[in-house]
Amino acid sequence: MMKTFSIGGIHPSDSKISKDCKIEVLPVPSKVFISVAQHLGAPATPIVKAGDQVKVGQVIAEPAGFISAYVHSSVSGTVKSVGPRKDLAGNNMTHIEIDVEGDEWVEGVDLTDTLVTAIPEDNKAILEKIKMCGVVGLGGATFPAHVKLCPPPGKKADCLILNGAECEPYLTSDYRIMLERSKEIVVGAAIMKQVLGGCPAVIGIEENKPEAIKAMTAAVAELQASAKGYEGISVMTLKKKYPQGGEKQLIDAVMGRQVKSMGLPIDVGAVVQNVATSLAVYEAVQKNIPLITNVMTITGDCLPMEKQHNYKFRIGMPLSYIAEYAGGIPEAAAKVISGGPMMGKAIANMDATTVKGSSSLLYLTAEQTVRGVESACIRCGKCAEACPMGLEPFLLQKYARNGMMDELEENAVQDCIECGCCLYSCPANIPLLDIIRLAKGDVIKIIRGRGQR
Amino acid sequence: MTQTIIWTIAILTILGAALAVVLYVVAEKFKVEEDPRIDEVEKVLPGANCGGCGQAGCRAFAQHCVESSPNLDSCFCPVGGNEGMQKVAAVLGVEVAAKEPQVAVVRCNGTCENRPRINEYGGYQSCRVKATLYSGDTGCSFGCLGCGDCVAACQFGAISMDPATGLPVVDEEKCTACGACVKACPKAIIELRNKGRRNMRVFVSCVNKDKGGVARKACKAACIGCGKCAKVCPFDAITVENNVAYIDFTKCKLCKKCVAECPTGAIHAVNFPVIKPKPAAEAPAQPVEKKEE
Repeated sequence: MMKTFSIGGIHPSDSKISKDCKIEVLPVPSKVFISVAQHLGAPATPIVKAGDQVKVGQVIAEPAGFISAYVHSSVSGTVKSVGPRKDLAGNNMTHIEIDVEGDEWVEGVDLTDTLVTAIPEDNKAILEKIKMCGVVGLGGATFPAHVKLCPPPGKKADCLILNGAECEPYLTSDYRIMLERSKEIVVGAAIMKQVLGGCPAVIGIEENKPEAIKAMTAAVAELQASAKGYEGISVMTLKKKYPQGGEKQLIDAVMGRQVKSMGLPIDVGAVVQNVATSLAVYEAVQKNIPLITNVMTITGDCLPMEKQHNYKFRIGMPLSYIAEYAGGIPEAAAKVISGGPMMGKAIANMDATTVKGSSSLLYLTAEQTVRGVESACIRCGKCAEACPMGLEPFLLQKYARNGMMDELEENAVQDCIECGCCLYSCPANIPLLDIIRLAKGDVIKIIRGRGQR
Repeated sequence: MTQTIIWTIAILTILGAALAVVLYVVAEKFKVEEDPRIDEVEKVLPGANCGGCGQAGCRAFAQHCVESSPNLDSCFCPVGGNEGMQKVAAVLGVEVAAKEPQVAVVRCNGTCENRPRINEYGGYQSCRVKATLYSGDTGCSFGCLGCGDCVAACQFGAISMDPATGLPVVDEEKCTACGACVKACPKAIIELRNKGRRNMRVFVSCVNKDKGGVARKACKAACIGCGKCAKVCPFDAITVENNVAYIDFTKCKLCKKCVAECPTGAIHAVNFPVIKPKPAAEAPAQPVEKKEE
């Protein structure tokens, strides 16, 4: 019996059109713009100025708080300017503009393909390396990885869960790295598991990716047979259901434990990291390569097969450049989305650049994006059935529209994970997610204001 | 039979009297002392409960007035205005200084014509929701989002959306300057400004903090922060900060020099008489005198 999370969830068509496209490396453009806000938390502080020479992998911005991360240059060349530029959403954010000259890396970086399986023993040094290389969670939230790998005192990790669910339709970047970089991912898992005190590690993959399950199982078996420190790593096949890749849902699916309202995964002894993060950890610890590359999917139903791609990009590349390189934006595209169709964001500005967490350029047609006319809620309960957090979206939206903050808090609006299942399932086309997300923000602000955490 | 009736009446009378004594004792013991003036002040207030005064409602405002009397400087009911405050002062038997009446001013001129739409929004029609998602339909990330949160926030029906421009319009007659729209606007475009002499006002109708070129590209009527207005202003009323000019309404003498100087037409002068020669002749006369001093 395959496992999955216990409540709610939906089954959108998985549309993994680009799953057979190998990862290609994008050539470096003549100019990059690297944002200082590539992670959750405080934007980093730039430490370079116009005219400075930088190499690939050189630190160009430092963390500006506990939850923040280093940002490295993804190219070598001259810093042209440091200043505001419009990001994905069209808002101003500090970007570091670099004119590319050659491709010279900083010293100490191992750019060979050799797999390094021996895991360093010093956990402190490993964490320091992860931090210095600016590794952040690549599952979507871009939470700094080293923070997650240091459980607060008194709490212990019982299980490291590697998220290979990739439950968002269309996206195939995690799938491709699981096929092409499976061993590196397992080494990354072994490193993180050692840092967490030797707990078991489970790689959770949904059933619709049999090739990935096969590749990862083989990689685990091979490394367990040939090297030390790999015991306790296993692959778990999960039933396909959205949002399996949600942190709390994955913990429920794999460990059968539920995270309490406003709680953290570590409260139930779980640490969840994406497979792409695991790869970044491997590159940081074993190869000294900072996080300046990631894989993104170029896909959409309106794209012909030969224009579907999985690209290894460097941070700071303009999206318009990538779209152009991939064969242009198709005419039928009405909306370009960064991230999956369920939780991704529509791109308001194609001149924005890639960040560590960029995962796709998804072209949706007008029919796919149009919203139906909103009608009255008939309390059919479909949204409540679909909600993976066990909330009642129809009730929450009513409270939210009337500004009833106490009722919203009592009904746990702060637990919403913004997965969009309610909006997807609503037959009355009520913009449930839009309304609830706003209310959630307000309620969390009120709770924080009370000093409750 | 008669006896039953008599007994019943007697018992109920005794019971009633006993309970009345209990109630009286309890009421006396737990009496909440309240200044009777609060009720009196509340009676003369407009009763809009809009919160424009900064208090939770009219009763809370009445209490605030009574508490802070005799100094009523921190109390102002925008709905009742100076007249209303005079009444409050009369009730409390104190003096209150008249405040300059204010009005809500929309500081964005990004009409459909000035600011071409480059994106289309299909989500929930709310400025706050829209602002969390992205910067807006246009290249300007500071301007009006056009979903009308301010219209919904106004209790007095003083704001409406102009379908031609896509911008909110304030009805000066109805506006009480309660500030509800100022709080509702996620882009902080609306400002409360002094109504000015005969309702005449000069203000910068833009809040774009982008550099000149970027701002101009996004909107034809954007303030580009060139500073010409600040240079020409004889009263030092204009400051340019973060690439956007701001006119201090307490210093502005309505000379309109800046309006003529602004290269993008971002500075608006409203409610000036249409007959041009007279104010034009008057306006330059004042600054010249000032310079000579």
